[in-house]
Amino acid sequence: MHLTIISGATRPRERSNTAKIISVFLTGFQKCGHTAEVWYLSDRTSWAGTRAAFCENSNILFALPLYVENVPGTMLEFLESLPPKTTSGTRLSFLVQGGFPEASQGRCCECFLKTLPEQLGCAYGGTLIRGDMFSTGLLGKKHGSKMVQPFIEIGHSFGKYGYFHESIIVEYASPEYLSEKQIRQFQRLSKFSRWLMDIIAKRLGCTERLDAMPYDK
Amino acid sequence: MNLLIINTLPEAEPAAQQVICALAEKVDEYRVIHTAAMRIAPCVGCNCCWLKTPGVCALKDDYEQILKAYLEYDAAIFISGTSLGFIDHRTKNLIDRSIPLGTMYTHIVNGQMRHVPRYDKVFHFGLIYTGEADREYLELWLKRFALNFNSVSIGAFPVEKIQEVSLCI
Ligand SMILES: Cc1cc2nc3c(=O)[nH]c(=O)nc-3n(C[C@H](O)[C@H](O)[C@H](O)COP(=O)(O)O)c2cc1C
Repeated sequence: MHLTIISGATRPRERSNTAKIISVFLTGFQKCGHTAEVWYLSDRTSWAGTRAAFCENSNILFALPLYVENVPGTMLEFLESLPPKTTSGTRLSFLVQGGFPEASQGRCCECFLKTLPEQLGCAYGGTLIRGDMFSTGLLGKKHGSKMVQPFIEIGHSFGKYGYFHESIIVEYASPEYLSEKQIRQFQRLSKFSRWLMDIIAKRLGCTERLDAMPYDK
Repeated sequence: MNLLIINTLPEAEPAAQQVICALAEKVDEYRVIHTAAMRIAPCVGCNCCWLKTPGVCALKDDYEQILKAYLEYDAAIFISGTSLGFIDHRTKNLIDRSIPLGTMYTHIVNGQMRHVPRYDKVFHFGLIYTGEADREYLELWLKRFALNFNSVSIGAFPVEKIQEVSLCI
């Protein structure tokens, strides 16, 4: 199988969590002996090539970060520019990752993604949602690689079936909601996570409070 | 009641003019921002507005006035085109740029994690759209968007149903 992966992230590839995820996904996917090509929508100069790859290939995976409950505006612009396929046989799948930990936060986006294959003349290959990805590129390489580890197995499973099998979707879209216990834990650690964010911000050169109100009247 | 109208359609488009006139009749004061001719880039996900210059977007284009205007008006209504059954990328780009309204801190609201709002204000957001779209989905998405920014959804309305818009806030 040859897979065309299109990253819908707007962040440049070097800093994108989606790009990191794709790279690990490919490790698992290529173990099955398949080949793949990856296109990044953050690079607008490659859009013509990406469009051609969409038209020519029959196994396509969009990998994207959640942006305000749906696809990033840039990815939407690209989708709007795609001519619907007139011959059958193309499968379109989606890998959605977001900052919040609950898979439920990706469901609204999933509803939209489910409508796309038919609109673009393709079959649907499923949507895998994975949360809690915000800090992937933020807390150092070691932490980052641990966070994306599951995508090896996800890539391997995708290689095996050619789409996201229900079992892998369910296994990794977890938790759907935080449990009472997880919420209590989160609340207990809330001061610590604020402190951690403040430290990260300071390291990035921030000199204001993170809850500053620059435009307050 | 004062209203911010953000029109992403071409300024001269009859549908936009029709919506603006109809909304103007419903409020004491309003301001229209026509974005079609403005320089507004898509969010690049740099996270500066959360972690480096809190509340301020790193992209220096024409967007900042919209962010400021959200704080000055009781409600904001987007006039949008549609594509693929959803709002079009012009409006989505604009909405992606609204993340400076939230802070990097998170808390739990109704059992789900959310950003702690940056301002004390409760915003009201609405959507009026032209073209084909799934209204029920737009309503759902707008509610989710509103929830993210300590705001309330006024609802999503096809342009033909403009009279249904209720601005009793
Ligand atoms: C404009 C913007 C909107 C976002 N909206 C959401 C959201 O609605 N839900 C969510 O879980 N994460 C959201 N996030 C977080 C990103 O999805 C997350 O950090 C992701 O890992 C970024 O991937 P990237 O580095 O490839 O851009 C948003 C981030 C940005 C910049």
